[in-house]
Amino acid sequence: MKWLGAAGLAGLVAVVEVIPRVGLVSADYLPPSSRIFAALGDEATDREFWQAVGGTLIGWAVGLVIAVVAGVVLGILIGAVPLLRAATASTVEFLRPIPSVALIPLAVLLFGTDLGSTLLLVVYASFWQVLIQVLYGVADVDPVADETARSFRFTATARIRYVLWPTALPYVFTGIRLAASVALVLAVTAELVIGSPGLGALIGVAQSSGAVPTMYALIVVTGLLGVAINLAARTVERRALAWHQSVRGEVPA
Amino acid sequence: MRRFFAGIVVAALVGAVAACGSSGDSGSDAGGGVDKVKVGVIPIVDVAPIYLGQQKGFFANRKIELTMESGQGGAAIVPGVISGQFQFGFSNITSLLIAQTKNVPIKVVANGVASTGKTGADFGGVAVGKDSPIKTAADLAGKKVAVNTLKNIGDTATRESVRKAGGDPNGINFVEMPFANMPAALASKQVDAVFVVEPALSAVTSAGGRVAAWCYVDTAPDLTVAAYFASTKLIADDPDLVKRFTEAINESLAYADAHPDEVRAVLGSYTKIDPKIRESLTLPKWPAEINRSSVETLAKLGAQDGIFTGTPDLGKLLP
Repeated sequence: MKWLGAAGLAGLVAVVEVIPRVGLVSADYLPPSSRIFAALGDEATDREFWQAVGGTLIGWAVGLVIAVVAGVVLGILIGAVPLLRAATASTVEFLRPIPSVALIPLAVLLFGTDLGSTLLLVVYASFWQVLIQVLYGVADVDPVADETARSFRFTATARIRYVLWPTALPYVFTGIRLAASVALVLAVTAELVIGSPGLGALIGVAQSSGAVPTMYALIVVTGLLGVAINLAARTVERRALAWHQSVRGEVPA
Repeated sequence: MRRFFAGIVVAALVGAVAACGSSGDSGSDAGGGVDKVKVGVIPIVDVAPIYLGQQKGFFANRKIELTMESGQGGAAIVPGVISGQFQFGFSNITSLLIAQTKNVPIKVVANGVASTGKTGADFGGVAVGKDSPIKTAADLAGKKVAVNTLKNIGDTATRESVRKAGGDPNGINFVEMPFANMPAALASKQVDAVFVVEPALSAVTSAGGRVAAWCYVDTAPDLTVAAYFASTKLIADDPDLVKRFTEAINESLAYADAHPDEVRAVLGSYTKIDPKIRESLTLPKWPAEINRSSVETLAKLGAQDGIFTGTPDLGKLLP
């Protein structure tokens, strides 16, 4: 199956090579793949490019970690206390659909063009992905298991550790995987619009300089980062949940 | 697993602390009385002198350690200067006039960039496609014209060109798009004309387009297009820093004006403009003096077009 995915990607590269060459779109605005990859080669030798990749990855990673920690802690707290859950349900539903980019003026006012602006956008967007999954996870706890733990006089901490956490963990990882992609999108968006350091800012410079192949080359890099992040998230998930039936699967007889 | 999560928590705390600390370190005296200064700029041709002046040591000579922060389109620059994240910023005159009518506490400290004042050889203008029926500025009346920002210097200057050519400026339909998208929009006939500056202007002309109206030239002789500014708070608190910055900028402007080849070279350091276009594009002028009468003209035209809510007070804005 893996070769099929690679073939799909090769097909896309071929289509982008052909479209401008047959004149469907002017090569000035969509250069053929070969020119995009040549520009990518030039970028790869540039120190500024690697600094930008680093900038984007830092914004992504720090933002994601803050969002995941906050999402898991608040998710368990809200999910485990029915009163809190009832009190916050409508607030969460109100805040969650607000697009992170709508917060750009606020981010600029608070952090200027620093990393903080990127973090605000990244954390806001990815936090809800994690929180909602954790809330689902906590709600999925088997009542019989919970009652059993209670009748054995487990403390609250022990119930969270041995009953709630194993149930919620697969949900937590789904949340992290979703948040990881969203965080990358928002990191690049923040850099592009606000100009905080990273790949997005470089895309903006390439665009305003009329350097079209370079601009597409940088966009390709963001795509590649996305693929790498998704692969890494899946690997971590598979390792951490090796014991869970969703990953373990059935051993053939 | 537990160690994995402990690591996440530690990283989050470190990240949060780093994020909080990042905006507090600007403008402080480093060792030896050197002032660390952040300038909010747009990474375009107009700001080449400040990059060149930095390379030449005009700022270091005056104990200023310069960092350029380039925000796209400059949306972040005025708020950044007001909040103190940047000590200085670069903005076009009309935007500064708009800010002044809203009583934003800023003041110009040095000239930024000016039109060459030459019809046929300016760094910006209203351009049309190869086979466009629009021949003169008067033909722009009633047409769809792209500008980078609505209700700003682009529509003021375009209207003035049309007015001076005897056309009716009121029927022009302005639409907003980034300069970089204009060559494509013109080629695909989404718009009839574009108000465009270098290097996108070169992209239009190399595709066969031509300039129908040299709107900066028509607006005022040797029009001052943009300037460097600071918050009135910084000007009151640290007049010595502002004085040294103004001197360094003025030296940079004069040097850039006298050394166009070095300007073209420095463009390669902070933009990605193709080397061939870098050699051929039309450079603006960088006089050290602000052309006050041209700013008055922009203020008058802006008021006439309804860009301002009040009347800009030039005495408060200009040095």
